[in-house]
Amino acid sequence: MNIVCSPSGIVSPFRPGQGIMDIAGAGFEGISLELAMCCSGHELEHFGEESQKEKEKEEQQNALDRGIKKFPPISEHPQGMSRFFEKMLGSCREKNLHVFVMTAPSLPRDTKREDMVPVLKSLHEEAIRYCKSLGCSYLVIRPLTYVRGSEKLWQLNREYYLGLADLAKDHGVMILLENQFVLRNGQAVRGACSDETAAARWVDELNREAGEERFGFCMNVGVLSLCGQSMYEFAVTMGQRIKAVILGDCDGYHEGYMLPFTSVCSGQPRTDWLSLIRGLRRIGFDGQMILNMSDTAAVFSPLLRPQLMALAKAVAEYFKWQVQIEELLKKYDSIVLFGAGNMCRNYMKCYGETYPPLFTCDNNERIWGTTFCGLEVKPPEALKGLPETCGIFICNIYYREIEKQLRDMGINHIEFFNDEYMPTFYFDRLKGV
Amino acid sequence: MLEIGVQTKNAVEDQNPAEGFRMLKRAGFSCVDFSLNYYLTNKTLYRMEQNHFFDKTRGELEDYFTPHKREAQAAGIRIHQMHMPYPIYMPNGKKELNDYLWNVMAPKSMELCSFFECSYIVIHGFKLAKNLGSEEAEWSETERFIHSIAPMAKEMGITICIENLYSSVGKHIVEGPCCNVGKAVERIDRINDRYGAEVLGFCFDTGHANLARLDFEDFMTRLGHRLKVFHIHDNDGVGDLHQIPFTFTKTRENQPSTDWEGFVRGLRAMGFDKVLSFETAPVLSAFPQDMKEDVLSLIAKIGKHFAGEAGL
Repeated sequence: MNIVCSPSGIVSPFRPGQGIMDIAGAGFEGISLELAMCCSGHELEHFGEESQKEKEKEEQQNALDRGIKKFPPISEHPQGMSRFFEKMLGSCREKNLHVFVMTAPSLPRDTKREDMVPVLKSLHEEAIRYCKSLGCSYLVIRPLTYVRGSEKLWQLNREYYLGLADLAKDHGVMILLENQFVLRNGQAVRGACSDETAAARWVDELNREAGEERFGFCMNVGVLSLCGQSMYEFAVTMGQRIKAVILGDCDGYHEGYMLPFTSVCSGQPRTDWLSLIRGLRRIGFDGQMILNMSDTAAVFSPLLRPQLMALAKAVAEYFKWQVQIEELLKKYDSIVLFGAGNMCRNYMKCYGETYPPLFTCDNNERIWGTTFCGLEVKPPEALKGLPETCGIFICNIYYREIEKQLRDMGINHIEFFNDEYMPTFYFDRLKGV
Repeated sequence: MLEIGVQTKNAVEDQNPAEGFRMLKRAGFSCVDFSLNYYLTNKTLYRMEQNHFFDKTRGELEDYFTPHKREAQAAGIRIHQMHMPYPIYMPNGKKELNDYLWNVMAPKSMELCSFFECSYIVIHGFKLAKNLGSEEAEWSETERFIHSIAPMAKEMGITICIENLYSSVGKHIVEGPCCNVGKAVERIDRINDRYGAEVLGFCFDTGHANLARLDFEDFMTRLGHRLKVFHIHDNDGVGDLHQIPFTFTKTRENQPSTDWEGFVRGLRAMGFDKVLSFETAPVLSAFPQDMKEDVLSLIAKIGKHFAGEAGL
């Protein structure tokens, strides 16, 4: 799984050095290139309007007066997108940051424009060429959403995507569709590809007509949360069609891109991370994990940005760890648990059969020699002498304290287990363990 | 024109059902959604408590509700649908409580539905996805419950209706059971085929759909003839407020934020031919009591407006 950082809210394309330095400094190895940075939904919505042209002239003049380079609108001159990002990508190259995914310009969620297909097509064709020139394999192109009715939506999009298929094939680019919502009088409503069964059918049908796997899917977590959808059901139905996931938090009522675990209420997350992790784990997701926290980044002072980016990287790594938790269990020839409480019980419920531990141990001497969930409970001393091929999994929330205890005993093959995002849960928790 | 209905809760009182039914008739309703859930409330069950209303024998229950049945008929009101008490299963509840809900409350609710000559009873599916791990596993439990009452439904000519529900994550409302229309269609058809009768149908709740951001028109159209009853009400997209349609706006244009146009198109597309029933009991406690009949009249007029717009 590649962890990729969206530069939105972090990097200025006109003065990219510091933002790129922050991303690379946090340990990210790649970015997703958001073409909306050069051609926004607002620009597209007002494309061709007289007032927009006047505004553009005014901005050009202002830029000239201040000696600043002003790019002509990309919606009118798509070939200008590579020049627009020249400086930013130069900084990326200096820091060895790769572009793993690119996202294409799109109309706003509440668009009134039904006449933009030719403009979008020319932008998206240029994006495909640009994608190839950067050695990037994935281009996210959102479905068109301005018609109502599932069949009409499909027909509109079918024609649109297939119109790009040959070019994408020639350039070795996979087009990723993305789940959508639309705004109707200010209210979010599920839109194109929000129904997972329909989305899977769209991708399959497009690939069938393209004669190869030219289309895949990008699962937007924030949009699923905004639409109150089960991410587990979505991921499981979409399965291997999911090539990228846009990871971001939101308040559930407005579109936003926040650092995961920051949108909370009464000590609970507003995004259903349990459902997301369960789903991605179930399908063995191994694609591009795009962290988009543009709103969080935008409100943090640039002085705090390096620390924020380090936390963001740790959060993304945590998701990867949770999704791939079984890979960790597979790594060892045998397993021993540390802890004889609810976490141990949850381990045994979900993984005990597939990855049976040799025994568990606990610091509570009163339970040494007893059995818990079918496991013999031994003292920590029993861990001494276990081979390196036996992983010792700490099943207790006091991870670092126990880790230190074990390291002080000379034990190093230590791993953490976590039961916050288990495939299933008991209806009760044991008390007094 | 389609008939218009409303909940009995907050409108029809046990002490004087005649007055309530007559008021509903005057307000413009010809049908009601009988609030059987009022007699064993969800609030009681969430406290893991159980009252003894359904301990009564079938005869005692029928005696209890005879005035309601008689006065509804006298007022020209038909009991079109009713709501079974919910939840039917408490995940952390004692076995005795869950056995009571499943084996006593549910069958007695079916008997009362038959007693009222009511064709539709709405149930809530179990909310177990978090613990069981998937919606499929959750549905299996709901289906097991449906099979426990489906033979009664067939014998009595009742259609059990599953309803689109919501759940919550950090007070953010998200979809709950029965929000996937494709699955609902498959399950209803499969179960009805098995029984050779329409034992299962769907209750489309507009308020819950708005909270789960469902596309009304698409959902209703795909359900088609399986959609038997409605719970029509409005909210702000944040809380389950059960308010009067057209109440909420979110933009400076002041157009309704709930997609009532899509609702009307859905009615038209599916050729709905039953009752437009409102689940707006909280409105009646919010408005001053001396305005209750005016408020009910407004609700009934909105129902007629929907029917007129849909050309039904």
